[in-house]
Amino acid sequence: MTFSTDMSVAIGTLSLRNPVITASGTFASGREFADFVDLSRLGAIVTKGVSLEPWEGNDSPRIAETASGMLNSIGLQNPGVEAFMERDLQWLADNAADTPVLVNVSGHTAEEYARVIERLETVDNVAGYEVNISCPNVDEGGMVFGMHCAPAADVVAKCRRATERPLIVKLSPNVTDVTDIARAVVAEGADAVSLINTLLGMAIDATTFRPKLARGVGGLSGPAIKPVALRMVWQVANAVAVPVIGMGGIMTAEDAVEFMLAGATAVAVGTASFVDPTAVIRVIDGMAEFCHARGIRRAADLTGALVAEPDA
Amino acid sequence: MSDACQDISQGHPLLEHVEVLGNERLAKGVGLVTLKAPRIAAAVEPGQFVHLRIAQGRDFILRRPFSIHRAEGDDVEILYQVLGRGTRELAGMGTGTAMDAVGPLGCGWRVADGVSHVLLVSGGLGAAPLGMLAERLAERGVAVTVAMGAPTDDRLVARELFEGVARRVEVTTDDGSAGMRGFVTLLTQELIAAGEFEQICACGPEPMQRIVAAQADAAGVPCQVSLERLMACGIGACLSCVVSTREGHKRACVDGPVFDAREVVWDASEVPPKH
Repeated sequence: MTFSTDMSVAIGTLSLRNPVITASGTFASGREFADFVDLSRLGAIVTKGVSLEPWEGNDSPRIAETASGMLNSIGLQNPGVEAFMERDLQWLADNAADTPVLVNVSGHTAEEYARVIERLETVDNVAGYEVNISCPNVDEGGMVFGMHCAPAADVVAKCRRATERPLIVKLSPNVTDVTDIARAVVAEGADAVSLINTLLGMAIDATTFRPKLARGVGGLSGPAIKPVALRMVWQVANAVAVPVIGMGGIMTAEDAVEFMLAGATAVAVGTASFVDPTAVIRVIDGMAEFCHARGIRRAADLTGALVAEPDA
Repeated sequence: MSDACQDISQGHPLLEHVEVLGNERLAKGVGLVTLKAPRIAAAVEPGQFVHLRIAQGRDFILRRPFSIHRAEGDDVEILYQVLGRGTRELAGMGTGTAMDAVGPLGCGWRVADGVSHVLLVSGGLGAAPLGMLAERLAERGVAVTVAMGAPTDDRLVARELFEGVARRVEVTTDDGSAGMRGFVTLLTQELIAAGEFEQICACGPEPMQRIVAAQADAAGVPCQVSLERLMACGIGACLSCVVSTREGHKRACVDGPVFDAREVVWDASEVPPKH
């Protein structure tokens, strides 16, 4: 069999060379990974969350390892959009010009999200935005917007007015029905949704009687959350017409394929990059091998290819 | 690579397949593992660390950072204390065990040319990142004095190494089983006040480092400290390991682990990592 699988996928008007992108907050802006990863091979780089002003983030300890996963409470520490444009976007323009950059955007208010986007509209090398209404680690903004339909819709409406570039909305799993939120943001013009962000969790040290994180609670990621993420991706893919970017505990190419089968058009590798800085490349190569071995000519054909009946 | 390290010659980190050559118990809960890691051994500078993928599989996922205690030929030595799951697994690793390592990572000690006498202050396993520094300084002809403290005599684990290269080694133990009884900061108070040192390099429990930093500051002697934080990526991306500094949060993994003591905001909120 001589053929090569077409790995490209489309997120609305945005064309990706393959379905594998980086999960926000796990890859900085790519620079830290440049010693390990050829950035020109990635489907896209999704940056760490950026806000209008610099955010200091939370106190240490900010992480705790848990069974098959980790909790984090970084708190969206970032240098603010101006420094981000000068340092990170400029570096990306100089070093990864061929790879689409999706900027993850945060704010304390809906207006702040839109103002960050307005600043970023002035530079060329931003392919689109991921609107973060799902960070569990900040007191104002973040998940507060993503837990109810009305504030979620308000943020997305304001962001939508600020840009014609692809607008992806990152959804929280910490909700009663994720499809309600998905429908609300799509109704306001979201071009795609990404999910899941981390699950709100807690770790306690029984020897000290204290929480393991300085902030008490944090976001759970890693293989532990994959079944929850798959279920939510599957629900949302069946509820909205826009592309879904699936993530949550992807460590291997097979994990990534499972998300595609559940209905994801693209997938993001997150916590795995902490464990293995080359993880995103392993997933890309592994997915291509998977497709080739099964005679799948287009990676996009995996999307939603789940067979409803379990194997007898 | 971070901008922070550009003032010293440090190469790029790499991913290397390493192998356990020996794993020796030095005292209760303290071990020394020797790894065959030719590329990391060739590149490492004193004060840098490696990020070891100790366990495979999905139930236990994060790497663990360890200071490099010594590097010789193709090998690096890591001094460790069993505190949590990662170090328990490491303690059980026999000769021939393979794993992968990312390193060398971080900004190490910076001792400028012309400095003629340095005081190294070690508290407990704080000796870990100071061993290689003592050796390299001695090779450069820099006089080294070591003040080291530990709970008990048998936990003064790097004493022989220090005695082999330092001009003078002074010890304290919590129980008086060796040297002066008490914390190492009793010693450093007098040593620093005597005024023979142009620089101090300290590593140990954070309260100890805070006291040494204050003593150094009072005497007007530049002081560097090596700080420990829980870490996920180790390469500057995740922002887990931040240290409070006068310029805001900095990353222990790439902006440190060695910091200028005057830069550090000692907020006393940090609990010791038990990763």
